[in-house]
Amino acid sequence: MNTRLRDRVCVVTGAARGIGLAIAERFGQEGARLACVDVSARRLEPAVAELVDNGFETRGYGVDVGRRDDVQAMFERIESEFGAPVAVLINNAVWARFQPLAEIDAETVDRMFACGVSGLMWTMQAAAPQMERRGGGSIVNLSSVSAFYPAKDSIAYSALKAGVVGLTRAAAIELSPKNIRVNAIAPGMIGTPASVAQFDEATIATRQAQMPLGRFGRPEEIAALAAFLASDDGSYVQGAVITADGGWTVAAK
Amino acid sequence: MKRLEGRRAIVTGGGSGIGRQSAIRFAREGASVLVVGRSANTEETVDLIRAEGGLALAMVTDAAVEANVEAMVRRCVSELGGLEVFFANIGVTGTNTPLLEQTVEEWEEVYRINVISCFLAIKYAGRHMTAQRYGSIILTSSAASLRANAGAISYSASKAAVNNLAQTAANAFAGTGVRVNAVLPGLVETQLTRKVFEDARARGVEGKLGHVTPLKRPGRAEEIAAAAAFLASDDSSYVDGQLLSVDGGVSSTHPYGRIAL
Repeated sequence: MNTRLRDRVCVVTGAARGIGLAIAERFGQEGARLACVDVSARRLEPAVAELVDNGFETRGYGVDVGRRDDVQAMFERIESEFGAPVAVLINNAVWARFQPLAEIDAETVDRMFACGVSGLMWTMQAAAPQMERRGGGSIVNLSSVSAFYPAKDSIAYSALKAGVVGLTRAAAIELSPKNIRVNAIAPGMIGTPASVAQFDEATIATRQAQMPLGRFGRPEEIAALAAFLASDDGSYVQGAVITADGGWTVAAK
Repeated sequence: MKRLEGRRAIVTGGGSGIGRQSAIRFAREGASVLVVGRSANTEETVDLIRAEGGLALAMVTDAAVEANVEAMVRRCVSELGGLEVFFANIGVTGTNTPLLEQTVEEWEEVYRINVISCFLAIKYAGRHMTAQRYGSIILTSSAASLRANAGAISYSASKAAVNNLAQTAANAFAGTGVRVNAVLPGLVETQLTRKVFEDARARGVEGKLGHVTPLKRPGRAEEIAAAAAFLASDDSSYVDGQLLSVDGGVSSTHPYGRIAL
């Protein structure tokens, strides 16, 4: 397998399942040292065990990325436990609810943005000085095609994912002089249990028929793109937002 | 890294720059490569690949002429045994003649080489690939396709056409298993941009090249090749109809400087 991430300390948030776990798995295969973060330490435990079983150096951190002080402390712990500064940060953690406008409540929106927007600022804030000390790094933020082409009941989610695009590009400008690259991935429909559970079978069939590739994506396919961006193969890719949606959003209808 | 083991690839514009580095990278990842170019340096690329133990063939021809594109697909299939990847990479820059003085002849030639070559790649590689229900077609576009002042006007407009072709062709190939994507390089030293680099060196301002990009440097052809290899391989199996910018951030950030061309 590739070893493009050999010996690099890679932090993956939302790593207990789905796309985050697939990214951790792929990065492990490419030689990375894995710091897996999830809000639920209980949910994270089996994921970390599986990664360790696969032979990857892995440590788990049960931390809510929406809490700035906890994030700061976690990054200090990561550097001391791995004995090396963080080289790669994958901001994948998100918490979302889909509500029509009239039903959107403050608690839901606050919680979504704390994790999915503010949380990215806290992790980048904590990771950037470590990356600078090692001469550079790569940050990959998970946006969504919803940032550009919102679906039903996704006012808060689309705003959140569009927010990820803005903060990614702004961070790219600010962190470029430190040789830190910041890019985003905008997945389309990825067939994780959490995403598939939102839809009935008829909706899923309709959606898949709209996609040139005719199917939902697999978490591993997002992980392969994340590996490209995280590694030196992406060394001239900066501030980019790369869509991986099976061609879903190229057509007008 | 062997993500292209057993694959057969055509790379046009393969005699130098991005095409040469991509052909070398594809071969390192296991592909057999038909290297297409218009001059003798095409053979040099093949020699470089063979020296590393890779498998490559050279074909010296104009990749914007229909019969030639048909012939290169036929040759790749007959001599390398198939075709899974087509990297349509030829291009010309156009001139910086003032807009009001530009001629139809110049625009037709820029469009022939930059756009029609991509259409022909899609047509002939697409016929083969849709029949086998598998393939990846990659088109070289440019950061100039997204913003003004990053290249000549005819060049910029032609590259915008290439972007749209990647999207419309991806949609046209829905359900066939054939993906079409574009890679959008920023400033990279190639045969096309050599004059920019040489002029800067002559004036002692080489360090200023690429300074308007957030990464503050021009790209290297190898870095575009790495993106092309990603798009060629199954690592990009869910990426279709996309425009992948590899430009140091110049297209995604606020324009805060003028690009000297």
